[in-house]
Amino acid sequence: MPQNSQEILLMLPHVVIGVGIVISLLIEMYSKKSETILPWISLFVFVFAGVHSIINISANQILFGGMLEVGGKPAIFNFIFNIGAALLILNSIDYIKKYESNHGEYYILIQSAILGMMVMAGSKDIFMIFIGLELMSIAFYVLAGINKKKSSSNEAALKYFLLGAFATGFIVYGIALIYGVSSTTSVDSIIQNFSTFTQNILFIVGLLLFIIGFSFKIAAFPFHMWVPDVYQGSATTVTGLMSTTGKTAAFSVLLIILSASLINYNIDIFAPYFAVIATLSMLYGSIVAIAQKNLKRMLAYSSISHAGYMAIGLAAANSEAFSGIIFYLAAYTFMNIGAFGIISIIEKQNDANTDLTAYAGLASKSPILAAFMSLFMFALAGIPPLAGFFGKYYVFISAIEADLTWLAVVGVFSSVISVYFYLRLVVYMYFKESEKDIDLHIDKYSLLSVVVSGILVIYFGISPDSLLNLILSVVN
Amino acid sequence: MNIYDIIFYLFAIVTLVSAAFVVSTKNIVHAAFFLIFTFFGVAGLYILLGADFIGVVQILVYVGGILILLLFGVMLTNKITNVEIRSGTTQIVPALIGVGLFAGILVLTMVSTEWKSAPGEIPFTTAYSLGKVLLTDFVLIFELLGILLLIALIGAASIARREKE
Amino acid sequence: MQVPIEYYLILSAFMFSVGVAGVLIRRNAIIILMSIELMLNSANLALITFSSFMGNSIGQIFAFFVMTVAAAEAAIGLAIVIAIFRNKLTVNIDQINLFKW
Repeated sequence: MPQNSQEILLMLPHVVIGVGIVISLLIEMYSKKSETILPWISLFVFVFAGVHSIINISANQILFGGMLEVGGKPAIFNFIFNIGAALLILNSIDYIKKYESNHGEYYILIQSAILGMMVMAGSKDIFMIFIGLELMSIAFYVLAGINKKKSSSNEAALKYFLLGAFATGFIVYGIALIYGVSSTTSVDSIIQNFSTFTQNILFIVGLLLFIIGFSFKIAAFPFHMWVPDVYQGSATTVTGLMSTTGKTAAFSVLLIILSASLINYNIDIFAPYFAVIATLSMLYGSIVAIAQKNLKRMLAYSSISHAGYMAIGLAAANSEAFSGIIFYLAAYTFMNIGAFGIISIIEKQNDANTDLTAYAGLASKSPILAAFMSLFMFALAGIPPLAGFFGKYYVFISAIEADLTWLAVVGVFSSVISVYFYLRLVVYMYFKESEKDIDLHIDKYSLLSVVVSGILVIYFGISPDSLLNLILSVVN
Repeated sequence: MNIYDIIFYLFAIVTLVSAAFVVSTKNIVHAAFFLIFTFFGVAGLYILLGADFIGVVQILVYVGGILILLLFGVMLTNKITNVEIRSGTTQIVPALIGVGLFAGILVLTMVSTEWKSAPGEIPFTTAYSLGKVLLTDFVLIFELLGILLLIALIGAASIARREKE
Repeated sequence: MQVPIEYYLILSAFMFSVGVAGVLIRRNAIIILMSIELMLNSANLALITFSSFMGNSIGQIFAFFVMTVAAAEAAIGLAIVIAIFRNKLTVNIDQINLFKW
């Protein structure tokens, strides 16, 4: 099976990141100044891969004999992963010094995590899904514990590792059963014969184990117990990456199941499962977030509830849901990265200034940060006309089309609850006096990252059609 | 009861009993040693199933690699001088009920499924065909595995390394 | 190969359940890691059983991948355990609760 050079060119984003990992490693080994060079290499690699993917979106092909899909739907995911990672790299330049783990490994691990996500999003073979997932997860386990002198970081790494490896066990066993029943590993042929396979209970059990494993990764309710601690204990930039692109990658795999039920005339056997986890995640995340004083922890619970909103789409299982979830993921990624970017600017050494009280009176000290933080909070709460609103809107519409109006009602109800804790932060920033004097050092690259995220959130909000049409052009 | 049955039951019992000991014993070092028997039992089953190459890899990687790593972990995280290599359990009853139900469902579905597939031919050796598939159909995964191992190496070294003060 | 396929699968199902039980009831990080290895092993057993009874070698390839990943995970897991032990001198996950579990 000879590979021609055309195929290599098509998968250039993957190749560039793979080469980037090796070059970064060499620089880290031989250069004294690797910490100042590596961010720029990573930035270049991510921007290149993201832009290349989105430019070649129409070149939809399956490479390596049915292994990896490039262009089309994976291209949109690659864009989300790479641009998200590039924004976080800009934040990291200053933040990772404050966090006292300014090592070159940090950037190498982020690159490999993104490579894993791109493999997951483009995989056309269940083994590829597994390898991509592990590439991402192993990099994240290490990134969560990147500051080894800090016990909160250690603990986050241990909890993430144990729960993540447990989920991996489920996924592997699920894949084994799926393979055993279908005797193929090709995602396409499983999707084609989905209705035949689902008559076999063992296949459904296998798929259920697989979905449970991924429910851990998207941080949905009964499988969420690691989320608050890991998100709070990890470095803020790492949390930003895990909660946005990591979740997007896991959803890109769950969307395969959605497309399977779409192609086979809506055999949505897993709709009840997704409806239940959606309801529980939304309500649990929104209600518990109210009680949080720490901003990172609050965003962790908010992340659980957002997983719930997206799972509504999985339960609805129609074509509106498909594009709605992708839109939501893109919107969620940029608004959350913006929010975490601001947290990383305000945060000081030893996790100082991550509490709500640190944001009191921010509007008078730095109007621009306060304005952008309010923007992201409004977007996360789903207030129009920002990107977050349209994400929720499309998903809720899909639920109503699928006769799951009650689920959309629960979603709206949960959004209303969530407005409370998002707006509380805005109130703190604009209407409270700061109790202690916080010296604010705004790094210019971090600010650039926040501004770019803000522009994207506003742009996707003002003209949602631009993104939605792009998604619709590849989903058919 | 022919020779294959006897070998199967032997390995199956070794595997399951030692697996049960791994999760139930209070002593971590004992758990690690029972794990050796589980790994050997599974390797025996692989060879019984005609997967000779994977059986050998199982012994090399699990017994020779992972288990040694685990034992290192046990040794490094327990002060050997004052032996306190014990550890407790929690929430036994609800966990066991849940897992029992789960196992029951799994076994029921496996028994109720009709397996069309007749036993395949036992090839003389699998290494040739495995190597061929690994470097043609699955070459992309093979290369990604290389990156994965590289990342694991970097990550483990960077976390476990002692920080210069 | 006279032993029917169900026997192997039931064995792997029991092994998987033992592994899950280990993760749920044990409180020592290293034992939890061992239980996860049991789960991965049982999945490999199922894969090789299917592969052998269906007469295609893809299952064996995947078992090979799973072993590689298991080795990588074990290395990372033990590195994390050692780092945490250095800071807090315990690997029992009940005693490691800076945050509420």
